Amino acid sequence: MALKTYRDLGKKLSNDLVYYIMFLPVLVFALVFSYAPMAGVFLSFTKFKSTSPDGPEFIGFDNFENLFVGIKSDLFWTSFGNTIFLSLTNLILATVLSVVIALLLNELVSRKGRSFIQTVIYLPHFMSWVVVASIFTIVLSPSDGLINNIMKFFGAKDPIYFLADEDWWTPIYLFINRWKETGWGTIIYLAALTTISPEQYEAAEVDGAGRFRQMLVITLPALYTTIFIVFILNLGKVLNIFESVFVLQNPLVYDKSDVLTTFAYRVGVKDGNYGLGTAIDLFKSFMGLVLVLTTDAINRRIRGSSVL
Amino acid sequence: MREVFSLRQGRAPRTLFRIFNFTLMIGLLVLMFIPIVKVFSDSLDLSTTYGLTFWPKNFSLEAYKSIFTNKSLFMPLLVSFGTTIAGTGLGLLLTTLGAYVLRKRNLVGRGFLSKFIFITMIFNGGIIPTFLVLKVIGMTNTLWAVILPSALNVFNLILMRNFFEQIPESLFESAEMDGASPLHVFLVIVIPLSQAALASIGLFFAVQYWNEFFQYVIYISSTELYNFQIKLRELVLSDQNMNDPALVGFGNTVKNAAVVVAMLPFFVLYPFVQKYFTAGVTMGAVKE
Repeated sequence: MALKTYRDLGKKLSNDLVYYIMFLPVLVFALVFSYAPMAGVFLSFTKFKSTSPDGPEFIGFDNFENLFVGIKSDLFWTSFGNTIFLSLTNLILATVLSVVIALLLNELVSRKGRSFIQTVIYLPHFMSWVVVASIFTIVLSPSDGLINNIMKFFGAKDPIYFLADEDWWTPIYLFINRWKETGWGTIIYLAALTTISPEQYEAAEVDGAGRFRQMLVITLPALYTTIFIVFILNLGKVLNIFESVFVLQNPLVYDKSDVLTTFAYRVGVKDGNYGLGTAIDLFKSFMGLVLVLTTDAINRRIRGSSVL
Repeated sequence: MREVFSLRQGRAPRTLFRIFNFTLMIGLLVLMFIPIVKVFSDSLDLSTTYGLTFWPKNFSLEAYKSIFTNKSLFMPLLVSFGTTIAGTGLGLLLTTLGAYVLRKRNLVGRGFLSKFIFITMIFNGGIIPTFLVLKVIGMTNTLWAVILPSALNVFNLILMRNFFEQIPESLFESAEMDGASPLHVFLVIVIPLSQAALASIGLFFAVQYWNEFFQYVIYISSTELYNFQIKLRELVLSDQNMNDPALVGFGNTVKNAAVVVAMLPFFVLYPFVQKYFTAGVTMGAVKE
């Protein structure tokens, strides 16, 4: 709209002013709960504990030295390795399982059956991690848990402490993750499948391609872009896994289950070592940013457009 | 259309595939249902050992009665309900206001405001600085600490803005011609037209607040401010609470019942709102 007179200009400014006022609450929330904490990352370069009487004391890069090569390095690198291993495995499993289930759902003839299955497999996404962990803690319990009862029925002598056993913890963790989120992950692929035009299938049919071949040459290629975007978007979040691990781990399996975030929580909140805890968090955020930017650069090169 | 084709084809591999697919889907359903059904059945069963049954042997509602009559379990439930209602209301208010401003085309400084908000999605101070900020402003160990910080959710804000952008621009223009103020347009045109988005994003918020757990771990130290998720974890993952009057006699049944109560509100609501949820997800994904 061209501003013809001063009155128009005045009107526009007063209109804009109303918009700014409406935005004020959002701004205040962002400032207090996001920007103010961001300023707090300087604590990474200080010695500061909950018991420190004089507040933070500047120590340069000592915290990072402690983490990378010093007294905390064993715990730090273990948790870093676990973070990468657990979330990458989980991400790959998530992609494969969600795509496969979406394809199979798509092949179901009965529409009612399909939407029923969808309803059921989406459900666990809305359960909290505490609820899911509780369900599986009960089901996997060594005393009167369903799984151990079934194994006893088939002749097993001793119950297995699934969640407290280093060999069992990782597969169980991955299984529970997939149980909770695989269904929800199919939504995006099912949406992409509806955009494939039926003519393509008709043409393939005329050419004598069977159903399985149609799936390989038409359906799957149509999903490539979606698979790629979802994978990249999730790759950026790889280092953030937290609550799922936190509610399922216990001191007996720290070696296999500790991740950067749970490590930061124990050091920073439980032990009250604010400086060191913030340093772990800052390292995580930095690596996360590098991951996002790298994957986006790869994506831009391949697809010619940025996801961000 | 494709169904017609597949029905016409009666070839053997096709039938085999269908049987295979059908079996797999049944297997999937069983896998999803077994843990939930088992917990539900045991929550109604006062037996001392449950064994392999999926049907209560000693049927009783005692465990549920215990949750609703014992203060140690009922208070957390109230906290959960209260924070969910307050948080969802506040969250929707911030989301709609922010989204409405960010969709305004020729607003001076809109680009800056968008970036200012979106940056908070990528960067954050981390657990400890956030804790210290809340401590300084006196919110730790109050329910404000679990209500306020989550009320601004940038992802929801983007979803809402995308939704608002689908409202025809002509509606805004004609309202402006008639001299309607931005606030008036917001209340009279935008909000009534956005019921589907409000329902879907409102439910995202409600799920988030009802399921909130970790913020209580960090910010809340008084047990009387615990929500139901925290209480549930305490019940199931540790055995400290066995002296609690709510648990005497049938602790395991109460554990199972508490799991059911913690997920019940969304099980009841879910069938009615499923289409909004999935619409919301695909809406965000397509636009991003």
